[in-house]
Amino acid sequence: MFKARKQEGIELHGDIWKHIQPGEVVLEARGITKRYPGGVLANDHIDFKIRAGEIHAILGENGAGKTTLMSILFGLLQPDEGEIYVRGLPVRFRSPEDAIKMGIGMVHQHRKLVPAHTVMENILLGHPRSRGVIDVKTAEEEVVAIAERYGFKIDPRARVWQLTEGEKQVVEIVKALYRGAKILILDEPTSALTPVETERLLESIETMTQDALGVVPFITHKLPMVLAISDEVTILRRGRVVDRLPTAEATEQILAERMVGRPVIFTLQKPPHEPGQPVLQVEGLSARNNKGVLALKNVSFTVREGEILGIAGVAGNGQHELAETLFGLRPAESGRVQFLGQDVTHAPILDRWKMGMGYTPAERTEVGSIGDFSLVENVAMNYYFDERYNRAGFLDYGGLRQLTEQIIEEFDVATPGPDVKIQTLSGGNLQKVIMGRVLSREPKLVIANLPAQGLDVGATEFVQRKLLEARARDAAVILISEDLDEILALSDWIAPMYEGEIVKLLPAAAAKKEVVGAMIAGVYKENEP
Amino acid sequence: MLAFFIRSLEAAMIFTFAGLGELVDQRSGILNVGLEGIMLFGATLGFIAAQETESYLIGFLVGIGIGALLGLLHGFFSITLGVDQVVSGMGVWIFGFGMTTYIGSSHTGPLGMERLPTWFGISPFFFLSVVLVVLVWFVLNRTGWGLNIRSVGEQPSVAEVSGLKVARIRYLCVIFGGMMAGFAGAVYGLYYNPVWNYNFLMGWGFISLALVFFSMWNPYLLLGGAVLFGLLWQVSLNPQMFFPGLASRYIWRMVPFAMTILVLILISSKWFRSRWGATTPEALGKPYHKE
Repeated sequence: MFKARKQEGIELHGDIWKHIQPGEVVLEARGITKRYPGGVLANDHIDFKIRAGEIHAILGENGAGKTTLMSILFGLLQPDEGEIYVRGLPVRFRSPEDAIKMGIGMVHQHRKLVPAHTVMENILLGHPRSRGVIDVKTAEEEVVAIAERYGFKIDPRARVWQLTEGEKQVVEIVKALYRGAKILILDEPTSALTPVETERLLESIETMTQDALGVVPFITHKLPMVLAISDEVTILRRGRVVDRLPTAEATEQILAERMVGRPVIFTLQKPPHEPGQPVLQVEGLSARNNKGVLALKNVSFTVREGEILGIAGVAGNGQHELAETLFGLRPAESGRVQFLGQDVTHAPILDRWKMGMGYTPAERTEVGSIGDFSLVENVAMNYYFDERYNRAGFLDYGGLRQLTEQIIEEFDVATPGPDVKIQTLSGGNLQKVIMGRVLSREPKLVIANLPAQGLDVGATEFVQRKLLEARARDAAVILISEDLDEILALSDWIAPMYEGEIVKLLPAAAAKKEVVGAMIAGVYKENEP
Repeated sequence: MLAFFIRSLEAAMIFTFAGLGELVDQRSGILNVGLEGIMLFGATLGFIAAQETESYLIGFLVGIGIGALLGLLHGFFSITLGVDQVVSGMGVWIFGFGMTTYIGSSHTGPLGMERLPTWFGISPFFFLSVVLVVLVWFVLNRTGWGLNIRSVGEQPSVAEVSGLKVARIRYLCVIFGGMMAGFAGAVYGLYYNPVWNYNFLMGWGFISLALVFFSMWNPYLLLGGAVLFGLLWQVSLNPQMFFPGLASRYIWRMVPFAMTILVLILISSKWFRSRWGATTPEALGKPYHKE
C-alpha cells in the first residue's frame, strides 16, 4: 500500500481532489483507537466524517484524546486500530509528509514556524517548489495570490519573530493552503487572537469552505466560537465520541455539559466587595523584554485590598514583562513600585515573598515547578524560608508533607499522593498545586499570570473560584489573561494593554467587551462611542 | 614577504575546508567539537595511503573517506542515540589523537613524493576553497536544501511537521562535515606540512572550530576569518620578524581563540541581538526526538 502510493507520488494527490461536490464526504475516520504504553486508552474507536464545505468542530477537554486524534490525522502518530479514508480511498499516514500529500493541512496551536526565517522561507519549507534553486519571485507571487483570495494580508519578507500571534497564524494557514491542503485542521484557532482578529479569521474560513474545503477546528474551551462558525460538532470525552450534533441544535450549556460530563456553572458568583487600603501602587513602570526592546512603557495603576485588576491583552503586548517586573524577576528600567507603602522596585524576590506577595507563573513546567521533584518539594519552594517550616536551616519535612496534603485536599488535586513526581500530574492538577502553595500563604497580593490558560472547563472554573475567594478575604489580585470573558467575569478594574502600554483603566462595571477588544487590538479611538 | 602571504593563504584554505564542513554541520544543529580528531585521522591515513600507493589521489580519497566515517560515527552518537554532542565530539578527538599517534609513529618523517603543483606559486586548493565558500553560501541561502538544513538547525519540530526527515538531513550534514574535515587534514598532511610527526596538526582543528563561531555561521565571513587566522598563525611562527620583542609565539597562537571569544561576547550582547535578531542556530547542540 505504502509502496504503491510512493510510486504514484504527488499526481495521486492531484487526482483525488478532482470534481468534488459540496456535501460529499471528504474525510472519514473509522474506529480510530490508540493505546499508549501504560495502558491509557487515548482514543477509543472514534468515528467521524467531514463533508466538503463543512466546518466540523471537535470539542473536548484536555485529556479527552483531542491531541492524539489530531496527531493521527496528520501522520504524527499511527493508530493501533482503525482506518482513515480520504474521498473513500483508504490511506495510511506514516509521517506528516504522507498526510500533506493527501491534502491535509494543519495549523498548530503552538506555532510551528522558524522564528529566525522569513515568512516566505517558512511557507516554502517542505514545499515541492523548494527543491533545488528556489525561484523566490514566482513563489512570492503565488503566495500573495493565495493570501488575497482568502482575505489575508501577508508580508513574505518579514521575519517571523517580528510578527504578532495573529500574523503568525495567517502564515501557518497560508502555508497549509499553498501546500495544497483541502482539509484544514485548526488546533485551538482563536486562543491567541484578539476579538478583531478572530472575526477576520472566521470570515476567511467562510471563504475557504466555499472552495469545497473541509475545515476541522479542535477546541477546548471557547464554546461561543464553536457556535459561531461550525456546522457540526463532535464531542470527545475520555477518548470516546460522546455526542455528535448539528450546531444549530446546540447551546453553550449543552456543549459544556456533554464535554465535562456534569453540569457546569457558567456565571461565576462575584459578590460585591468593598475595596480597602491600597496594596500595590505602580508609577511609570518601564521594562525591556528579552530582546532588549522596551516592552513595558510607563505603566501606572493602583490595586487595593479585595480588588481584582484584570490585565487584558494579546500575548506579547507587555503583560508578561509587567508580571515579571512586579515580582522582581525582571529589572525595572524606570518607575516605582510600592507595596503596602514600601518601595519594592528593586527588592529581592525572597523579600517579596516574606512581605506577602505571591506569584503564579504562566510557564508552569519551566518556572512554576521542578518536574523531577515531588509535590512536597515543590510546595516547599514557596515555604523553605518560612519560620514555621525552617528551623535554623533545617526543613521540617513532616510539616511540609502535612501542608501538601492539606493543599491536595483543599484544591482538589487528583494525585496518588504527595510524594509522586510533580511531572506526573496533568496540566490542571499541576496548576492547582501551584495556586495552592501560593494561596495557602494567604498573600496580600497575588499576581496570577495566565492562571487558566490551557486548562479544561472544570479546572478553569476552580482556579477562577479560588481567585475570587482570595479577593473575598481582602487580598489584592492582579489577573493577567488573554481571555476577555475571564477578565470581564472576574475583574473589578480592567487594564487593557497594547504595545506595552495600558490603553485606559476601566472600571469593570462600565466595561464593554467590544471596547476592551478594540483596545487590545490597537484600534480603539478615544472619541468614538 | 610574498612567501609569508602565500603560506598564510595556504593555512587559510585548510581552515576554510574544515570550517565550511563544520559550518554546514552546525547550521543543521549538530556541533562537532571533534574536528581536530577527524583532521588528524585525515592527515595521517591520507599520508600513509599516499606514501604506500605513491598516489596523491588515493591519499586524498582516503582522507575524505575516513572523515565521512568519523562524521557518521559522531552522527550515530548525537542523532540516533541523542547523547551530549560535546561529549561525543571530545570522544572523537581523543580517539583521533590516540589512534593516529599509534598508527602513524612508524611513518614518522617526510612523505618522500614530488610536491603538488602550484599556480603562480599559490596552491590550486586555495582557489577550490574560495569556490566552495561561494557554493556553500549559495546552497544555504538560495536553494531548498539550504532552507531544509537551516530549518532543521533552528526548529527541528517545525521541519518535521513540514514533512522533512530531520535525522536524515542531519546525518547528511554531519557526514559532509566529516568529509570536509578529513579532506582538510589530508591537504595538511600531503601538501602543507608533508612530514609526519607526533601531533603534527598542532591544534588546527580547534582553530577551524573557533573560526565557525567567529564567522557567525556566514561562509563569507568564514573565509575572511580564515585569512586573518592564517596570517596570525604565520606571525606566531616567527613573531620576531614582525614585532620584535612583542610577546612569544604562544601568545600569538592564542589570538584566534581570544578573537573568537570576543565575537561570541559580541553576538550574545543585548545590543547585537536586538539589532540582528538571533544568529546562532537555535537548536545547535540539542538532540531531537520525535514527539
